Amino acid sequence: MGRILIDLLRFNRQFAVGLVLLAIVLGFALLSFFSPYPPNDSFVVPPDVPPSWAYPMGTTSRGQDLFWLLTFSIRNTLLFGVTVALISRLLALVIGLVAGYCGGLVDRALMSINDTFIVIPLFPILVLFYFVMKDHMSWGLLALMMACLGWAYDARLIRSVALSLRTREFTETGIFSGMSMRQILVEEHLPYVLPIVFSTTMNNINWSIGLEVTLSVLGFTDINTPTIGVLIYWANQHTALVAGIWWWIFFPVLLVILAFIGLFLLAVSMNEYIDPRSRLGRSGG
Amino acid sequence: MSEPVLTVSGLRAWYRTSAYGVSREVRAVDDISLSIAAGEIYGLAGESSSGKTTLIKTIANAIQPPLEVLAGSVVFRFGDRPVDIHRISREALGKIRWKHLSYIMQGSMNVLNPVRRVRHTFFDFAFRHIGRPKPEFLQVVRDHLQRLHLAPDVLDAFPHQLSGGMRQRVTIALATVCRPEFIIADEPTTALDVVVQKGVLAMIHEIQRELGSSIIFVTHDMAVHANLTDRLGIMYAGRLVEEGRTADIFRAPRHPYTAHLIASLPRLGDTAPKKGLDGAPPNLADPPPGCRFHPRCPRASDICRREAPPMAELSPGHRAACFHPEPERPA
Repeated sequence: MGRILIDLLRFNRQFAVGLVLLAIVLGFALLSFFSPYPPNDSFVVPPDVPPSWAYPMGTTSRGQDLFWLLTFSIRNTLLFGVTVALISRLLALVIGLVAGYCGGLVDRALMSINDTFIVIPLFPILVLFYFVMKDHMSWGLLALMMACLGWAYDARLIRSVALSLRTREFTETGIFSGMSMRQILVEEHLPYVLPIVFSTTMNNINWSIGLEVTLSVLGFTDINTPTIGVLIYWANQHTALVAGIWWWIFFPVLLVILAFIGLFLLAVSMNEYIDPRSRLGRSGG
Repeated sequence: MSEPVLTVSGLRAWYRTSAYGVSREVRAVDDISLSIAAGEIYGLAGESSSGKTTLIKTIANAIQPPLEVLAGSVVFRFGDRPVDIHRISREALGKIRWKHLSYIMQGSMNVLNPVRRVRHTFFDFAFRHIGRPKPEFLQVVRDHLQRLHLAPDVLDAFPHQLSGGMRQRVTIALATVCRPEFIIADEPTTALDVVVQKGVLAMIHEIQRELGSSIIFVTHDMAVHANLTDRLGIMYAGRLVEEGRTADIFRAPRHPYTAHLIASLPRLGDTAPKKGLDGAPPNLADPPPGCRFHPRCPRASDICRREAPPMAELSPGHRAACFHPEPERPA
């Protein structure tokens, strides 16, 4: 694994750029642990100060140091994306592998649920969810909700691979040698689909961050937990652009774009790793 | 002769499908009886779609719908207790398979999972049957590979790093690592060129002699049968039409189909052009009445069109299902 990473870094510029971008964003998120101010305190610094040496990203109209506030926001946003991706990957893997392996009635039942999730419009449902939950809304709840909505595409992808794996000789021999269904799925099929899942995980993180930002900007989430979207929401509430406080919008957007590009490049370059043969072709082995 | 390891009697396995209100029955294995002794290599020959693979799938109880077993029994005798493989519990079946009865599948080069190292495949398939701690198990596997003249390094390779013949040998090693009493080999050499094939066959022979196992060996390649097998069963359209010692069958086939099959083989010094048999193998969903070979048989008479000929012992150890067998030729 280590050698693969080093190879990817050396030979794949996309991977290198993606990794550097993501490292910047991650490093920034980690700075939150050294913040002199708690994230939700306001009027700890003079408001509306443009970027300067004292306040590298300026301060907000609510008297918060944008630099430190942003470290909390990006941390929560990334955590949100990863949580959604992990939960939804788990759902997608279990449902996709079981549906593909069992086939028949189980497959049809699972896939009709799956297709329902693919066709229902996500955004209105999430907005509705906010209005139902209102004050009970927390980012954990939203993450769970989005994971429940975001597994369907991947489950279908995994199922399509599992369908073909089911008829391979190694599956038949596995059954013959007395492996249980769980063993076959975990030992034989999971390693086969895992690289695909790696790649889609990155996309899923992007998707969930994007949706979270959208919801937050419109105020349809828990607006007391600082995330990138919530930050922009408050900037809009204080008409930051009209008031000329451009830095309040610019830096959050810049940071989330860096995160997007980093994740996207990683997802793309992960394709190099998916097929061990292409890896061999590159190293001439 | 001692008790046979495998006794198949009156086995009938059909594919039954029903789609859009149309039901079809494909009689892929129809009333087959045979027995295989300990330490014997039994060859199963026949053209494509004659039911060879279905027969051995049924023998191994690796049955998936729409294939169904309608009648007959498959009795193995490992140790002193006979077991009917279709009438034992799943757990008991799981204990027998791979440990006592192993199966080299058709297209067996793909038995190795392409994304896992060979070592993992050994663990997945054989570990629970050997029942020893991991380091000891690995040592058993290494010794076994060495016995088969394979470098233990292959354990660390991915399947795509091995050549076709190498993969095939690893597959055979995988199937024999538990020292099974009975090995089912379904066309294990078909995808290989003759040079590699020779090596693989020698390996199968060697391991068979060492373990003293019985093998049922399926291939349509008559040359392989002539070199490897002790006894030979010829299948045609889902039925066993002739069975006997391989040498006897090659010397003097009794069933007209076998006779044509043998006559089609090139021989040294034979310059006469080969003539194909007219017609095509019958559709097993709608087989001809009587003897299934009669539409193509030059010796067919009225009775062949009405009745199916039973298997009859024509000379000691040599059975054929024909009303008008070819004449016996003295040795």
